[in-house]
Amino acid sequence: MISNKVIEIIMKIVGDENVITSKEERLCYAYDSTPNAFLPDLVVRPGSTEEVQSIVRLANEHRFPLIPRGTGTGLSGGSLPVMGGVVMDLTRMDKILEIDEENLVAVVEAGVITYKLQEEVEARGLFYPPDPGSLKTSTIGGNVAENAGGPRAFKYGVTRDYVLGLEVVTPEGEIVSVGGKTVKSVTGYDLIRLYTGSEGTLGIITKIYLRLIPKPEAKKTMMVSFPRLDDAARSVTEIIKRGIIPVTLEIMDDRTIQCVENHKKMGLPLDVEAILIIEVDGPRLLLDGQAQLIAELCQNNGAQQVRIAETDEEREKIWAARRAVSAAVVQIKPTKISEDIAVPRMAIPEMVRRLKEIARRYQLDLVIFGHAGDGNLHPNILCDQRDHDEMQRVEKAIGELFKAAVELGGTLSGEHGIGTMKAPYLKLEIGEAGYDVMMKIKKALDPNNILNPGKIFWSENNG
Amino acid sequence: MDEKTIKEYLNRCSKCGGCMAACPLFAETQMEPLVARGKLFLIKNYLDGNLDLSKKMMELMSLCLLCKACTDQCPNSIPVDQLVLSIRQEIAQHKGISFVKKNIFQHFLQNNGRLNIAAKMANLYQRSGLQWLVRKSGILGLLGRDLAKKEKLLPEMAKVPFRAQVPKLISVSNPQMRVAYYTGCVTNYVFPQTGHAVLEILRNHSLEVVIPEQWCCGIPALASGDEGSTVELAKKNIKAFQEAGVDYIITDCASCGSMLHEYADLIGSGDAHFFADKVVDLSQFLAEVVDFTPGDKEIGCVVTYHDPCHLNRGQGVREAPRKLLKSLPGVIFKEMKEADRCCGAAGSFNLTYYDLANKVGHRKVCNIKDTGANVVTTECPSCIMQIRHLIELEQIPVEVTHLAELISKSYGGVS
Repeated sequence: MISNKVIEIIMKIVGDENVITSKEERLCYAYDSTPNAFLPDLVVRPGSTEEVQSIVRLANEHRFPLIPRGTGTGLSGGSLPVMGGVVMDLTRMDKILEIDEENLVAVVEAGVITYKLQEEVEARGLFYPPDPGSLKTSTIGGNVAENAGGPRAFKYGVTRDYVLGLEVVTPEGEIVSVGGKTVKSVTGYDLIRLYTGSEGTLGIITKIYLRLIPKPEAKKTMMVSFPRLDDAARSVTEIIKRGIIPVTLEIMDDRTIQCVENHKKMGLPLDVEAILIIEVDGPRLLLDGQAQLIAELCQNNGAQQVRIAETDEEREKIWAARRAVSAAVVQIKPTKISEDIAVPRMAIPEMVRRLKEIARRYQLDLVIFGHAGDGNLHPNILCDQRDHDEMQRVEKAIGELFKAAVELGGTLSGEHGIGTMKAPYLKLEIGEAGYDVMMKIKKALDPNNILNPGKIFWSENNG
Repeated sequence: MDEKTIKEYLNRCSKCGGCMAACPLFAETQMEPLVARGKLFLIKNYLDGNLDLSKKMMELMSLCLLCKACTDQCPNSIPVDQLVLSIRQEIAQHKGISFVKKNIFQHFLQNNGRLNIAAKMANLYQRSGLQWLVRKSGILGLLGRDLAKKEKLLPEMAKVPFRAQVPKLISVSNPQMRVAYYTGCVTNYVFPQTGHAVLEILRNHSLEVVIPEQWCCGIPALASGDEGSTVELAKKNIKAFQEAGVDYIITDCASCGSMLHEYADLIGSGDAHFFADKVVDLSQFLAEVVDFTPGDKEIGCVVTYHDPCHLNRGQGVREAPRKLLKSLPGVIFKEMKEADRCCGAAGSFNLTYYDLANKVGHRKVCNIKDTGANVVTTECPSCIMQIRHLIELEQIPVEVTHLAELISKSYGGVS
């Protein structure tokens, strides 16, 4: 618990109106987009880096946990106050400080909404590609802290590929600036990469320099169905071998297609193992030719049907099928456990087979969709949180699916992060030695274990 | 809604946070307790016994515009406004509602005679010079920070209510149909000119119009958690219109229209369904039921349209008003950005949370201004009052008018 004396000091730092004490309001900062929740002792909404710094120093003095939070849309429990303490809501720091059109750099505060930045830069003919699923509500600070990805990652990379510089308040309350407006920088250790994806455990990110690129002129979308999953995977490889890198390569498995079709009649084929939604972007002049070539390659590799969108309306229709997934799957059961393993692209068919086998063995309903270009799959287990027996089977199945991903040369998390949800499995991928290195970094930078305790590193009491 | 259904819905919330992008209150405050995800979590905690109906809880549950924007984008289609209304009802049952509200919902609204007298008193206040005196003296400023500003939100009452100005049956020769007109309280007591415009339009389409004795639709009571009063009003209205024997019941108010549709679920009887099925919004009726024929008088304006929440998301009417506007002679239609975003009125929300409602409305005013239109039109008297208030505050040269009044101008205006 936080003493009244400390609360008073915090109020002096940020102003009374930016401190939340009532249980009702604190409850609204107890959760993220996972099914879990932990009540924080206090919520504070700083408005500047200096205010963040003062609170971090106070936390070291009085030894209370500090949990940085954007808009709480994470999928790994990264912003949950699992050990209580103070949740630091950074959404008031929401200014786009600069869009430097000459140097192609945007400078933003941590609380800027990803979509808002994209709107602003696109209005200037520029492009910030990372597109995590929650981009309309997530903050850039959260994206950097979790190193968020998205469907465009195969062609354009993930958040880390666009971070040029950071201002960070360290766990002991110093303000560090690394990088800046230059694309190249090799001054000492690459702290930008260390902080990016550190899940709020190594510092509180307050300001970000982001790399921008020119906005592609046009895009073209198509939907291709494959009776056999292996043919879909081979087609993707063939497309890339021919020098075309699609901006998105979304895959949906048969069970996902069934759910969508049950929920909204969209005329999707029910006799296929996979549907690919392929989108290419770039100069308008090139896209028709690329689309034709992709269509041919797919047909030569066992595609049943190829639908190329010729109008915006047709394009919209294709994406509507993908967007319908999340609503469609919860019609089956209310709870959705969403994982985000990634495997080397060619291992996708084998991974899908193993996932299905695991689900069968534990009698669970499973849908698989994801990004076929980068091998990042989202197996979603559909279950009911109130059914304890089922939830125990889910737990076991998750353990096995992580094991399978690692066996196939893959990773536990492509874009959601470790947080609390995957903490028990971390050693599975990085081993004892890797775990030890990470732990040493954490201990060296945050000796009092102030920042986001209970994340990444698993212990008995982190829920 | 029973507790089991409520829990089913609450259980469906995956806390994805998509509602944050849609909620006008969240956009202004970035406060998680004000957005659907937070509210649903609080309701769940209350039902699980982790929270009481504390003062804070009551305040948070009152901080919702009921604009349905969150529901519209929710991947799991959770009817957030219905859940908030359910908890408000629970609050009303356990904690009661204020003495003033109780009197209004359970006595005034149920009795047209008393309501007429109250409206007359308000009109007297405004005409007798008392209002002038009160405003001039600054006495309201002494009573509360916002009271003086809020007082200006109160509309000027009509000297004689609309329904007292017109006969109960308006016949035409060779009527193509017999319809009823549900005037709503605001048209009746505040904007009689809207009512006259509606009649003018209907007359020009050879429709026989019945205006039966009628009562408040009940939405103010429901929004405050007093479902009992709403049920009473619903029963009275259903009976009154049943006796009218009409093909359609036309509304000119988005909120009334959406409430009248909900009588079907609220009362559940065959009569209620029969009634609700006949209710149709004026623009939808003109665009889809009759062959809409505007007059030939050039109106001469650039107009933009504001979608009332209860018409767009509440009744699914989007294209009809735009179709009508585009067909009017001498009218250039300009679509505004975020036309379907709440204006902040939300019944009496703008009286309770004046500053916050104005912040929400400011965005609407900016979007109106950006179109360059000199007229903004809509189909909800409550939106009209809010937008007009803000446009006066921000001193923008834009006229705010009901769609019916604009259309009636093409016939040469109300005689």
